[in-house]
Amino acid sequence: MKYKDYYAILGVDRGANAEDIKKAYRKLARKYHPDVSKEPNAEEKFKEMAEAYETLKDPEKRAAYDQLGRYVAGQEFQPPPEWGEHFAGAGSFEDIDLADLFAGLTGRRPGARGAAFTSGRNYEAAVRLTFDQAFHGTEIELELSVLEFDDKGNARRVPHRIKVRIPKGVTDGEQMRIPGKGGKGVEGGRDGDLYLDIVVEPHPLYRVSGRDIYIDLPLAPWEAVLGTSVHLPTPAGAVSLKVPAGTRAGQQLRLAGRGVSRPNAPAGNLYAIVQIVVPSVVDERERALYRQLAEASTFNPRAQFEPEAAHEH
Amino acid sequence: MNIETCEALRIDERGAIEWTQLIEISGLSEGELRELVDDGALVPVAIGASSWSFDAHALPLARAAGRLRRELDLDAHALAVVLRFVARIEELEAELRALRAGVAREP
Repeated sequence: MKYKDYYAILGVDRGANAEDIKKAYRKLARKYHPDVSKEPNAEEKFKEMAEAYETLKDPEKRAAYDQLGRYVAGQEFQPPPEWGEHFAGAGSFEDIDLADLFAGLTGRRPGARGAAFTSGRNYEAAVRLTFDQAFHGTEIELELSVLEFDDKGNARRVPHRIKVRIPKGVTDGEQMRIPGKGGKGVEGGRDGDLYLDIVVEPHPLYRVSGRDIYIDLPLAPWEAVLGTSVHLPTPAGAVSLKVPAGTRAGQQLRLAGRGVSRPNAPAGNLYAIVQIVVPSVVDERERALYRQLAEASTFNPRAQFEPEAAHEH
Repeated sequence: MNIETCEALRIDERGAIEWTQLIEISGLSEGELRELVDDGALVPVAIGASSWSFDAHALPLARAAGRLRRELDLDAHALAVVLRFVARIEELEAELRALRAGVAREP
């Protein structure tokens, strides 16, 4: 097992009192909490200090940690043999780390004196899905490392691979639950659950809000004026969309039921947001036609700037 | 080797959550959780003779509360205040996402 110097991680002396330890942790938590920190490796550092604080804030765990003796951080060490009986049965410490050892101090091990039934810990995992996986539903594989205890109370980490079916229509930020796939319950306690925090990668064309999906629909000026029919990609397959004559920029053309769909719930809509785009390069003939149009047209796009119009309001 | 296949369930598919389940999910003590209810950060949907029950939305909130309590070492009152801020940030983020989604990007 690798030694971790919890005091050094929190930047306090070995003789620090509970208040100093709390202060040191709070100061570091403000700096490195992943929700607010811009420090490099904030998440990694924060995990380390949270683990250190979890042990040092509890007088029983701190005393046990101090009993381990002093080693250089990262140095391989073996807890004293009597620890085997006291904390992890008579077995080895090879498959667990220091945090597991101290988590075991809360009486969750079978065989430990006074151990009552305890529910397994809830685990969490971040799952990254592409837009298409989230829209259509998918199956992913997860590799978990589950802390288990054998009959003698020895703790060990067991790798566990599961397939998870994700239903269609999950969205970014959603949480999902897999019952019974967290830590093992002890002495008849129920197994913990596995929570998935879903992250959906952005799509180059589609934007999602709730169950609705938005896509930009660029049109040439003449298509917007005269109307047209366009080939529009949608997550469920391309459709032919009729664009009415006189369509304005910013107008949203609704395709009912083409948004995010979930089992047992009405599907959202897909909105095509019209953009009028102009060619950056035009040849001589096109330029001549535009000039001709400019001369023929009576359309005033800035009528609201005219003095008469201003007086009316 | 056969790999077990599991179904991921939506949080909002879960029915009512009982008080004892919420304690277990959050990892908070009963007193800490009670303070969150008293401060209005968690709102029960049904108040029984001996216990409260909550709807599925309480579940992510309870998990967040447990995480913040552990990670920031907050006391119960500070936790209730932070949870309200977190809920407000989530509302604003959803509004921002809706606004951004509905506005065409630069062509």
